[in-house]
Amino acid sequence: MMPYYKFNYFGLDTSLVIAVIIGIGFGFALERGGFGNARILAAQFYFYNMRVLKVMFTAIVTAMLGLFYFTWIGWLDLSLVYTIDTYIIPQIVGGLILGIGFVIGGYCPGTSIVSAATGRYDGMMYFAGMFFGIFVFGEMFPWLENFYNSTPMGRVTLPDFLGLSYGLVVFLVVAMALGAFAAAEWGEKVRFKITGRIKE
Amino acid sequence: MTSISGILEKEKTEIKVYEPKPYSNPYLAGVGLGLVLLAAFLIMGRGLGASGAPSSVIAVVVNKVAPDHAANNNFYKEYIGDGTANPLKDWLVFEVIGVAIGGFISGSLAHRIKGKVEKGPNVSVKMRLTYAFIGGSLMGFGAKLARGCTSGQALTGGAMLNLGSWAFMFAVFGGGYLAAYFFRRQWL
Amino acid sequence: MKNYLLNLSTPKKLAALAGFLAIFALVIGNSGSKNKISVNAKELALSAIKDQDKISAMTLADWIIKDKLDFTLVDLRSEKEFTEYTIPGSVNVRMEDLLNSDLKRNQKLLLFGNDDISSAQAWFILKSSGYDGVYILNGGLNSWKNEILYPKRNVNLTLEDSIKFEKIKQVSIHFGGNPQVRISESTSDAAITTSHKIAPPLPKITIPAGTNKKKKEGC
Repeated sequence: MMPYYKFNYFGLDTSLVIAVIIGIGFGFALERGGFGNARILAAQFYFYNMRVLKVMFTAIVTAMLGLFYFTWIGWLDLSLVYTIDTYIIPQIVGGLILGIGFVIGGYCPGTSIVSAATGRYDGMMYFAGMFFGIFVFGEMFPWLENFYNSTPMGRVTLPDFLGLSYGLVVFLVVAMALGAFAAAEWGEKVRFKITGRIKE
Repeated sequence: MTSISGILEKEKTEIKVYEPKPYSNPYLAGVGLGLVLLAAFLIMGRGLGASGAPSSVIAVVVNKVAPDHAANNNFYKEYIGDGTANPLKDWLVFEVIGVAIGGFISGSLAHRIKGKVEKGPNVSVKMRLTYAFIGGSLMGFGAKLARGCTSGQALTGGAMLNLGSWAFMFAVFGGGYLAAYFFRRQWL
Repeated sequence: MKNYLLNLSTPKKLAALAGFLAIFALVIGNSGSKNKISVNAKELALSAIKDQDKISAMTLADWIIKDKLDFTLVDLRSEKEFTEYTIPGSVNVRMEDLLNSDLKRNQKLLLFGNDDISSAQAWFILKSSGYDGVYILNGGLNSWKNEILYPKRNVNLTLEDSIKFEKIKQVSIHFGGNPQVRISESTSDAAITTSHKIAPPLPKITIPAGTNKKKKEGC
């Protein structure tokens, strides 16, 4: 039964080899998607290029459907897949800070690595900045600890929270994503007609 | 396009003839990314991540420089562990090494490896690099506060339909769109 | 229709596939196949014969004392019985809640009821729903009581036997038991009834919960 690692099909050392392989796939997919380029990432926030939305939501939908069907067939025990516990307020505040950092810096942590690996100096600078930010967070942690641990909700998923069936939430997410994609395609076309600006 | 080229330019003379290929179809790239994520779920029982690796490195460095200081800090302690295992022998550290390799392979195949600075036309290189550093710092801070970054929270938690991760995702886009106006000079 | 589908662009094909899977997901509702069981009868039967899945009370006691226990002890009896007495460190899971409990498929579980019947039934349910390591306490709580808590010995026994008994006695005392000398059949029954009365206030033994402490896996 999956996930294999949780059933001790292999040990820690093998898992690290798998980590590198999965990482290579991750980096490859990010680079193919254009996520190694800060201008493309930032364009999302000016509605010039909706690539970030398209790639990210397609990935979420793909993995989500995979999880749903593997669980349904009975090959996967979803409760053994690790999820971060919800601490709603710190997560929202952190998300806001992260979003602002995204627009200023042009990357997120994963994409900055790809960007740096493909020679972009701004990506390297960003990566260095991230170390600094984490260090600052670490140093401030004794003061932040209370807030960091506030509003704990444990492991809670959207189906639990909304009281809807798993399948219904999957359906809603796919419907939302397809709607967003259609809107994005349409928006890009309109924008192109008005400005003549070609997306990358 | 201004670029501070030179360093990587020399060894590029051979392949410089090739134009960088256009990025692939976003939906196909998305499916690829989703399948990688799914593979991580099925094989490892966990998702992808990025900001955890730098955290481990920082915790190790702080622990080397000032062990007492690190021992009094729960944040560092969590990454250092109980001393039975090397904190750098961590799944995310290896995964991030893979990300760099994978990005490089993909970039090489598409002739997109180039030493340059990605920026809008109206901003100087120096300014852009400064902004990159500031943005990275904010991102590092925010990611730790939110217990994960775009990979660990939005992507992984999003696919798991995790409540906090979806709240996080909307906050990221919210923060981004709110700040976009003030930093438009950098990109437009 | 077929040609129409084939002529769609790749993104549209993907969208159609996602849409189809989403609608099917809506029909399925909850994917957790918790009430559906697929059984490989032969495999189950074979492992049932082999007896490898049974652990004796003495072995269990030994593991607990040496702090070597990596099983989660699952008490299948009613809540009332559970609060009265249980093996230290057990969790109470009733049969009907087995598949909705917090028990993880990758945990090593040691099941026990009063006797072997309920644990054997639970063993089958868990095994057939993909739980990996499921074991049964041989003889259930009854043999735990008889062998560990209130071991008895006959009046006349060999030297070898009495050395053995001394060992058992130590184990028994560890668990707050009451080893005694058996005099006749009738009193042994009495001993059991009295032993219920003195059902010992158990020394709290903290057992490392299931697996070792997990490092944070998040990003």
